[in-house]
Amino acid sequence: MLTGINMLCFFASYAIALGLEILGLWNRVRLRRVALLLMASVGLFAHTWYLGVRVAESPQAPLTSHRDWYILAAWALAVVYLTAKFYYRKSSMGLFLLPAVLGLIAASRFATTVPLATFEAPRFWGRIHGLFLMLGTVAVLLGFVAGVMYLLQSYRLKHKLASGDRLRLPSLEWLDRANSRSLGAAAFFVGGGFITGILSRLAHTGSRNFIPWTDPVVLSLGGMMVWLLAAEVFRLVYPAARRGRKVAYLTVAAFGFLVLVLGVMTLEDSLHGTETAAMEDAAEDAQ
Amino acid sequence: MNLRMIGCTHQESGLDVRQQLAFDAAQTTAALDAWQQRFDETEIVLLSTCNRVELYAASTGPANSLTTNQLIDGLLDFHNLSREQVEGQLLTLADQDVVRHLFRVAASLESMVVGEPQILSQVKQAYQCAQDVGTAGPRLHDLFQSALHTAKRVSGETQLHKHRVSIPSVAISELASCVFETFDDKHVLVIGAGEMAEETLRYLHDAGKPSIHVVNRSVEHGEQVAQKWDGQYHPWDQLWQQLSLADLAISTTAATEPLVTIEAFEEHVAPNRHQRPLFLLDLSVPRDFEPAVGEALGVYLYSIDDLDKACEQNRAARAAEFPAAEKIIVQESQRFASEQHRRMTAPVITELRAGLERPKTAELERLFQKLPDLDDQSRREIEQFADRLVNKMLHPPLESLRDASQNGTPHGLLDAIRRLFQLED
Repeated sequence: MLTGINMLCFFASYAIALGLEILGLWNRVRLRRVALLLMASVGLFAHTWYLGVRVAESPQAPLTSHRDWYILAAWALAVVYLTAKFYYRKSSMGLFLLPAVLGLIAASRFATTVPLATFEAPRFWGRIHGLFLMLGTVAVLLGFVAGVMYLLQSYRLKHKLASGDRLRLPSLEWLDRANSRSLGAAAFFVGGGFITGILSRLAHTGSRNFIPWTDPVVLSLGGMMVWLLAAEVFRLVYPAARRGRKVAYLTVAAFGFLVLVLGVMTLEDSLHGTETAAMEDAAEDAQ
Repeated sequence: MNLRMIGCTHQESGLDVRQQLAFDAAQTTAALDAWQQRFDETEIVLLSTCNRVELYAASTGPANSLTTNQLIDGLLDFHNLSREQVEGQLLTLADQDVVRHLFRVAASLESMVVGEPQILSQVKQAYQCAQDVGTAGPRLHDLFQSALHTAKRVSGETQLHKHRVSIPSVAISELASCVFETFDDKHVLVIGAGEMAEETLRYLHDAGKPSIHVVNRSVEHGEQVAQKWDGQYHPWDQLWQQLSLADLAISTTAATEPLVTIEAFEEHVAPNRHQRPLFLLDLSVPRDFEPAVGEALGVYLYSIDDLDKACEQNRAARAAEFPAAEKIIVQESQRFASEQHRRMTAPVITELRAGLERPKTAELERLFQKLPDLDDQSRREIEQFADRLVNKMLHPPLESLRDASQNGTPHGLLDAIRRLFQLED
């Protein structure tokens, strides 16, 4: 019976949950929260089942293609959302987290299902590389969501709009902490992903030491890594940047880099796709 | 009785007007003294809190002996304000409306946070102060005692005061919790050690275990409050240092000028904070913090009027208890009115009774002299007959008087009775 579960199932469930979150801004009807939790849980169940089927079909899944990679990142965010919903019952965090989940699932529709080249050879480094970057993406997205919520909550408090409103956000202290931790985690995972990517490449190309530094994916990912590391150092060194709006701005900017990396990866990924072989051949010819 | 009230409240007036009309303790005494000399034969009580400044006056003279305009002039003259500055922002009431209003105020129905207990003690203090200065007399005594009785009935017979609420508790639970996840590890600074400060500390003590610091001009009182709430007292000159360390600061002083200007904040506090969030709750009227301080990075400044929205939720949550409370207010204000009217008619009734008692006694003496052989039993029977006769004769006019008193002082009827029975004025 469950073999018919596809992306539409969990996308629709999350979309309905988001609709119920939006409805809560106007009217907190009875059973809305129960319905919301039910739809999010159903979505997460279908999402998990879908990934489980993918793993059963291909042992390398769920990090074998761009599409799986997006769906796994969306799954991680959905788990965070549902957990947060149980801890912060009245919070409107779903208004910010669910669009990110839906965005990743929607992006997966445009992502290729072609297996990633890095997984064809040395699986260990390739898997670590994919996992690190996926966790880095989730961390950047969580930081972005927390950053946006922080800026919004701060604005509402400054302009005396915070109380009596149906939009309920976590405290600035909590968001600040979430921001800082997300930034630290993002710097660690993206940095780790970059290094393991190089190691994976070196292991794959062996003594030829071919690393395409000018590749758009490498460039954009390198840019994001440099930004995240610089932001983390800035945060640790400069006291005023350790908290509040500064961290929020840093995480929001990191999201800009993430969009750039994902865009480049989706549109012209020569590194992980079929173009890699041609590039390697060209390099060999040059030698 | 000629009863009047003028003033400004958080419903009618903004904080700017209220802080111009506010009185601290010394000003209250001075103002009452000045008004005592200005308004002859008038009893006066002044109630000045962060949410209201109300002047209650009762005069024994005729209705035109004390006018609302005279009282407004008295209030404005004390603060050197013109009428234009408060135009449309003053509340003026007379007679029975004053009674109802004061009863509602004392019962906290007019409070920003419905059900808050502080207003009752503020009303008591206002009356006590007037008594000490000598501006409160029997009329306002009756009015304020009835108001306190009404407040106690509302508190005891309804659920309005079920959960202890106050302006600080609403501010902290609704707003400070939007900034801080927990109060356990927070540096809480209380500036001024008044009743509101204690109320704040009571709530914070229940909400968590913050590190409490009290800065107060009076060392003795500051230390007392700090000790009571397991806090630490700091001398007044450490205000800047403490503000630099604080996460949450509550200001409740009676200062007539802002304590913290934006210039002072930027010079003494901001450089040490590194934009660390600071939640400032300014419960003082006049303000202790200049509004511009709230513009500083990381600072969230809330004055008393900024809590309106948060208080509305509290009001809505207690709305179900309003009808019961209103019923008590109506009952008590009617009872007060009847009592007042009864007091107005009491001298006439006494004279009327005395007017019939005198001839009765004279006639009985004359009769007993004519019939000296009457035994004691017969004498008693005759005396009782005379008493019953007088009572029956008095019953219709007294009944009419009582009925007429229900709707106000029956001046016409009293005058007619005086004339008919030739009573003295």
